[in-house]
Amino acid sequence: MKKLRDRIQEKLNDKILHDTLKNFASSYKVSRDSAFKGLDFEALRRQVNSLKELSRMDVEDLFHQFKENVEEHGTQVYRAQDGTDANNYILDVCKKHSAEYIVKSKSMTSEEIKLNDALEAGGVQPVETDLGEYILQVSKDHPSHMVMPAIHQTRGQVCDIFTEHFGKEICPDIEEMVGVVRHYLRDYYFKAGVGITGANVAVASTGTIGIVTNEGNARLCTTLPPVHIVLLGYEKLVRNFEEAMKVLRVLPKSATGQIISTYVTWIKGRNPSFKSEDGLKETHYVFLDNGRLEYLEHPTLKEALKCIRCGSCANICPAYEMIGGHVFGHIYIGAIGLIFTALFHGEQAAREILNLCLSCKACSHNCPAGIDLQHLIGELKLFFGGKFGVSPLKKAVYSSVLAKPTVFRGLMGVGSVIQTPFITKNRKHLRLPLPEKRAFQIPPSVKRPTFTDLARGQTGATSAATSRVFFYPGCAVEYFYPNMGIALMDLLGRAGVRVDIPRISGCCGLPATFGGDRKSAEKIIHTTLNYMGHPDDYDAYLVLCPSCGVAIVEQFENFAKKDHVLEEKAKKIAAKTKSLSTFLEASAVKFRAGGNKKVTYHTPCHLGRGLKTTAEQYLSQLLGERFVPLKDTDVCCGFAGSYSVDFPGISSGILGKKIEHIKETGADMVVTDCPGCIMQIDGGVLNNDLPIKVLHLSDFLANLEIVRD
Amino acid sequence: MDRIDRFVAYSELVGNVNTIIPAAEIEEEVGKGTAQKRYVKAHRFGLEPLQPDIDEKGINEAVVEADYAIAETGTVVLDSADEKLRLATCLAEKLTVLVEGSRVKEKLEDVVDFLEERSRKENGYIAFITGASRTADIERVLTIGVHGPREMQVIIVEDM
Repeated sequence: MKKLRDRIQEKLNDKILHDTLKNFASSYKVSRDSAFKGLDFEALRRQVNSLKELSRMDVEDLFHQFKENVEEHGTQVYRAQDGTDANNYILDVCKKHSAEYIVKSKSMTSEEIKLNDALEAGGVQPVETDLGEYILQVSKDHPSHMVMPAIHQTRGQVCDIFTEHFGKEICPDIEEMVGVVRHYLRDYYFKAGVGITGANVAVASTGTIGIVTNEGNARLCTTLPPVHIVLLGYEKLVRNFEEAMKVLRVLPKSATGQIISTYVTWIKGRNPSFKSEDGLKETHYVFLDNGRLEYLEHPTLKEALKCIRCGSCANICPAYEMIGGHVFGHIYIGAIGLIFTALFHGEQAAREILNLCLSCKACSHNCPAGIDLQHLIGELKLFFGGKFGVSPLKKAVYSSVLAKPTVFRGLMGVGSVIQTPFITKNRKHLRLPLPEKRAFQIPPSVKRPTFTDLARGQTGATSAATSRVFFYPGCAVEYFYPNMGIALMDLLGRAGVRVDIPRISGCCGLPATFGGDRKSAEKIIHTTLNYMGHPDDYDAYLVLCPSCGVAIVEQFENFAKKDHVLEEKAKKIAAKTKSLSTFLEASAVKFRAGGNKKVTYHTPCHLGRGLKTTAEQYLSQLLGERFVPLKDTDVCCGFAGSYSVDFPGISSGILGKKIEHIKETGADMVVTDCPGCIMQIDGGVLNNDLPIKVLHLSDFLANLEIVRD
Repeated sequence: MDRIDRFVAYSELVGNVNTIIPAAEIEEEVGKGTAQKRYVKAHRFGLEPLQPDIDEKGINEAVVEADYAIAETGTVVLDSADEKLRLATCLAEKLTVLVEGSRVKEKLEDVVDFLEERSRKENGYIAFITGASRTADIERVLTIGVHGPREMQVIIVEDM
């Protein structure tokens, strides 16, 4: 197979794919939101998550219940250990019935085990009846989306495929093409000796499977042929219909933005079949393990088996939107695809593509089964990092530099000298001789003195302080953007808040955890925690970089487990960690915003979905009509730390969309809450010569007058 | 919004024609269809059953009675274990479904007991149907009638 880098480039060059996925992403969000309107999405997904919270033993119990319910009436239930086992069983059944053709409705599980290849090799011709799958089968292609498998094909391409396949001119009119397929496939339902389907749920209390489709093809596949084979994973089992309805309520809404899919079919056992000798359909339920049962025992990965295959983690993924499912996934697609690839298709297939995740958390936020997909991807990266090692350069940076604040500081000092020839006139940026594909970024210069140098001795308000906070600068503020930290000290000082800072600024460990280096992350976090004062002394811990905030809130405690005292400290700090706007909103500090400049706001991923807040409302209230909301404000800007260096094409593509939305607002200023986003967006603004200022909320607020009651 | 209005709103959303009529007008309403090849099974509404042969060419219309309807999704619930009924509803160009207003339920959970009861037997085939057969597999353009019916009508019969 081609190198990942080349495969990415190929997709980035595909203009049609780019437009298709971009339009899809924006229209999906609209229809999904409207489908869930009036419903409490958080409550619904909590329900699904908890009903899918099953141990291996629970699943075994449900399976036996299901089995007994159908077996007593003559249905055969087979437990397949892996793909080969399942394929052989299915092929045997087809051969026993001398089936020349079999009709199939869409099943990702059959894709997982490459059932069609096995059937063809065994002399049986499977015919895919889902239109998208049929297009792919005819063109020897494979799905690029779990629900809309042929989303990467245009009508023109489909027309060419059909023209060649049917050996006659087909008009590229969608309705007409659908008509041709309707007519052509109708015969196959009647000719087929066997029908194969998957299942969306399997109801243990009665032994009933539920299949969700829009086309009605599963109904025909399960009605006409005299034999029905169901291929399903154990994770589809639910206790009863009550639970099945909870899954059904969210599945279509998340998948396609429909309130419900056109057909939901509940099938149990041997239904009447005029083509069968004894008048009853022969039925086989093949339960696929392929590692599932063991994963149910894994403390973290078992979460992945809660997936209901709606595909929405692809629909809202900015990286998927750039490169599509043939690269962002393997057989399964989207965030869950990266995870399932590791689970079902091996380390080799998964290792590289796991890095395609931006860690923007959009998937976790949108998953109707409440799976924290990004966390699972992070865990898998750590696992692979531990097993196969991290790239030597990154490893050296994590363990020898980031874990040792004084070494880091020394190196940054050297950097501040070396960079001199590249510093721009305003001294803020570097104009590096970067290759063209990386030129979308204009990195900030290394600042000397650093933030802690500048702020040492300052404590904001000294006397009569109304409250006391600890400000954790993180590397971005310490070395690249000291101004943001100084602004924070200044404005809180004026507001009567005492601000303490660490004696030495350490790293939050996020680069190491995202890079899969658990050991270095532990070292870094231990060191940094030691410089963070005593949590009992402070009302809040403030961050200006929400990624540092997420590390503190989500990871410090985990990585400090070896030292009980430190673990307790991490826990207390986590509970007090806040963004600037959250702190200000809860305080009595009020600003007066004069002037007439229009302002818009970008919500950083790790603020919106990490610290679960945004300054959008805060600014809107402060600025009134001068505030212009940004479309897709909470969609990633494409920075994601070293991601922008590892995958510059994807990163700049995502940035391009952000810049487009910023332009649409007509704002004079983009305010945001993250140094990384500022670096990325500022690069985009400068490269597009836009007369727009990009600044941190702290810098923005520092220029405003404080109102005293 | 009451149950029936809600049902009609969601049923309309998927392109169904919805009619609310008194029992006395059933014959006239259903009779409107001039379909040549027609399957009819709606005992509760006193309609004369019709069972034509069904092959790959399909039939013009299937007129059936639903066991229930669900307001929250605009869905009709049809016990389709009867093979002929299954074939007819899968292969008809137009699907016409009759249901009494009292059988229109609020939520998906309201038909759970029915599903459970019908699935206790040795076999079962129950269909939730919400609109005509559709696909959006080419360029996400909604196209009706890919395998099954191209039109659907729901007739809600007012209770006595």
